[in-house]
Amino acid sequence: MRGTANERRPWTFYALAAFFVLFVLFLYGPMIVIYVLSFQGPNGGLTFPLNGVSLHWFHALIAQERTGDIAGAFRRSIGLAAMVTIFTVVFSVMAGLAFRRRFAGASMVFYMAIASLIMPGLFVSLGIGLVFQSLNMQPTWYGSALGAQLTWTLPYGLLIMFAVLGRFNRAYEEAASDLGASNWQRLLYVTLPIVLPGIIGVALFGFTLSYDEFPRTVLTAGSTNTLPLEIWAMTTNVTSPALFAVGTVTTVISFIVIAVALTSIALIQRRRARRAGKANESTTVS
Amino acid sequence: MASDSRNGEIELVSVTKRFGDTVAVDSVSLRIPHGAYCCLLGPSGCGKTTILRMIAGHETPSQGDIRIGGESVVGRPPVRRGTAMMFQAYALFPHLSVLDNVAFSLKMRGVDRAARQKQARELLSKVRLEQFAERMPAQLSGGQQQRVALARALITNPRVLLLDEPLSALDEYLRLRMRGELRRMQKQLGITFVHVTHTQLEAIAVADILVVMEQGRIEQAASPNAIFDTPRTAYVARFVGGQNVLSGKVESVADGIATVRASDGARFTVPLRGAKPAPGSQLFLSIRRDRIEVAKTGSDSAVADEVNMVRGQIHSIEYQGSYAKVTIDLARAEEFVANLSDIEFGRTPLEIGDHVLARWSTADVCLLEGADGADQKAYADAELMGG
Amino acid sequence: MKINQQTVSWLQVAPLTLVLVVFFGVPMLLVGAVSFFDYQRWHIVPTFILDNYVELFQSGLTLRLYLTAIKYVVIVWAVTLAIGFTVAYFLVFHVRTLTWQIGLFLICTVPFWTSNIIRMISWIPFLGRHGVFNDGLMRLGIIHQPLSFLLFSDFAVIVAYVHLNTLFMIVPIFNSMARIDRGVMEAAYDAGASRWRVISEVVLPLSKTGIALGTIFVITLVMGDFFVVKIMSGGQSATVVSALSTEISSLQYPPAAASAVVLVVIVALMVSAILRLVDVRRELTG
Repeated sequence: MRGTANERRPWTFYALAAFFVLFVLFLYGPMIVIYVLSFQGPNGGLTFPLNGVSLHWFHALIAQERTGDIAGAFRRSIGLAAMVTIFTVVFSVMAGLAFRRRFAGASMVFYMAIASLIMPGLFVSLGIGLVFQSLNMQPTWYGSALGAQLTWTLPYGLLIMFAVLGRFNRAYEEAASDLGASNWQRLLYVTLPIVLPGIIGVALFGFTLSYDEFPRTVLTAGSTNTLPLEIWAMTTNVTSPALFAVGTVTTVISFIVIAVALTSIALIQRRRARRAGKANESTTVS
Repeated sequence: MASDSRNGEIELVSVTKRFGDTVAVDSVSLRIPHGAYCCLLGPSGCGKTTILRMIAGHETPSQGDIRIGGESVVGRPPVRRGTAMMFQAYALFPHLSVLDNVAFSLKMRGVDRAARQKQARELLSKVRLEQFAERMPAQLSGGQQQRVALARALITNPRVLLLDEPLSALDEYLRLRMRGELRRMQKQLGITFVHVTHTQLEAIAVADILVVMEQGRIEQAASPNAIFDTPRTAYVARFVGGQNVLSGKVESVADGIATVRASDGARFTVPLRGAKPAPGSQLFLSIRRDRIEVAKTGSDSAVADEVNMVRGQIHSIEYQGSYAKVTIDLARAEEFVANLSDIEFGRTPLEIGDHVLARWSTADVCLLEGADGADQKAYADAELMGG
Repeated sequence: MKINQQTVSWLQVAPLTLVLVVFFGVPMLLVGAVSFFDYQRWHIVPTFILDNYVELFQSGLTLRLYLTAIKYVVIVWAVTLAIGFTVAYFLVFHVRTLTWQIGLFLICTVPFWTSNIIRMISWIPFLGRHGVFNDGLMRLGIIHQPLSFLLFSDFAVIVAYVHLNTLFMIVPIFNSMARIDRGVMEAAYDAGASRWRVISEVVLPLSKTGIALGTIFVITLVMGDFFVVKIMSGGQSATVVSALSTEISSLQYPPAAASAVVLVVIVALMVSAILRLVDVRRELTG
């Protein structure tokens, strides 16, 4: 905001800025409280004051005292999120490309995706559970839960691809064909690299939505838990700061993923427009 | 066959392009000889860009044939037509450096890295951008981007270069410089250039062949000089600019010269150049703005009416450097413009509101074809675009 | 070898469609079918009956559950709309540089990519009897007894909903506000409109697609939730889906399915009413 600092701002700016700060406090305050409390001393409880500072509850987590199979749940969640990310990226990019042309059934697919997006997750879970039951198949985290989560991440991926490809200038592709690129070369060397930031956005959504998914996974993960299911179980039977320690760990993982995704998007954008100053395409994926 | 592949003669044979119910290009036929600089000129939506894109292979004609070097290219992919296109905002790949942009087509053909970079550098030095090879497109100015786009197109060694509004992204100063540069480049390469623009002066400045378009049709295709001197229709006269358009009914015909009478009684003569209009029919004629003599009359007209003369009051005077543009309000609705050279203008100072008469000689009158087409919108566009 | 464009589109969209059909379309149809089935203990008996629906509509509980759910929806909608509109307005019209705009927007969106369950749990040490909030007020001498309505109450449920869902209001409203031409607002000022009039006459109407989209998100998210109600009300409140999740855990699938069908129909009616008021399709497809 340098350069305009001398200009007087209306009082509404300060009022709204104060409101915004309060909102950010509301958004982050409670979360920060549990991150702090997760470093509670060994004799500390679920609230302040801090009874010393320690990593005790993180150790307790790893040792899995009075908690379930946290380490296993964590491994499964990461593996599942990785699979969901791959499928979401590949399928949404393909579908996004398809939707650039008219084709019979396009609006059917679109409406199904929207319905899938806003359907309460528990119902999807229930439905898939029923399908597996009626087929006498055991639900598994890598089968039924994977499918359940895709019904949630694919619509998001598709909508992001709409936004990304909607901004994409077709002249780039025509230039590529003009310069002798085959359809595959055009896709590989021009279209995909140019929309890469958007694709990373899809991957970010795919990973984090899956990693934190609960309602769609609850009846489809079978006999083993993913991390959110494990945390859900802990909310009812663990009354120690170990619960907060889990929260801190998963949030750190989420933040690492977010940071990697956003940094790589920013780096790509910066590389393309280092001195352009007219980066009027906001990088916000939404 | 080898010589054929270098022949950049373009021929459009009754080409029509429809988008849904709209006809963008309506049965257009045109021949552009090899090595010519052709400008397609017209207001937006007249079909000029569609023609360019059909030649390039980015659109397929609904009907008709497109031939390059005597061979039909309809259905061929762009790369197998020997054309290269420079896109409107250049469409430089934002994720590739300048060098990689220029080397792109070689990479697609599987040329190895060292060879393609060497060739790309050579081309960059031709457009004097070798020191910018490692930059990204967004780090270049508009003029530099245009030169990169040119180098990228030329590396395919095309027989035809297609340019879609190549100068519209530049500021006035660069536009003037680059259009000279394009012209020089075209003569040097000796290939066919097809250049789409909506700016009259740009087209007149660069073209060997000027194609004036309107609503999907060609109004006139000729040298800029011929179009400026003898516009075929009222539309061309108005759009290309520099002309006054008048009309009247044929009174008499003698010695290849018709005398027409306008609705307000004024009479004009027009050389018929072989045309044989029926008496009483409506004729349209144009007179170049720079061939008109203006004289003050005072408020009560002492001068008797004569042939090839109109009266009116000065509406505006715009000084244009080497000449002054004097707009005269006629009693009739239409405006009449005289471009007076600065010397002439200095001799007879004029003021807004002065009562004047304007005269010209029969030799400077050109008979226009067909109906009026007094499309006020097109006329306004022409004014707006510096006609 | 030339493949028809339409075929290419179909091939590209096929994987996404297949996943959605198998894991969303078919399961939802099965839920619909099962809602008409009979059951004995854990067994579903495939005979066509209407008993599930008859019981649902005859039970006074159903109405109470819907009233609770709608109460939450209305309050949460009003609060998230107020916050979302204000925050988006601040970001779009008062933050002057793009860098700050993207930065502050990301601050608002980052929590979306972290676990909902953890974010919900984080209110427990904050709102509890001995939580941060009560502690602070007592220390300041404002209250002498801890406020007990803060946690495990409707209040806690609403706080958690607002915390989790405000983002879904901010993002679409931000998007539609960002598209408003500043010239239009300046013209309104020039015409003598006050700040409030510009908001009510220009900004509000031009943001209505964003508001509609945000409303759809918030309604479907709150109506479809079950775990926030369960945890944050301390088991004192129940909504349609939280009651349904209890039925599912006792394996009473057919009545649960009937209840799900009814809820989906009601939510679909609400959504289509909104769509009738505002055309959001253009907003979605970019």
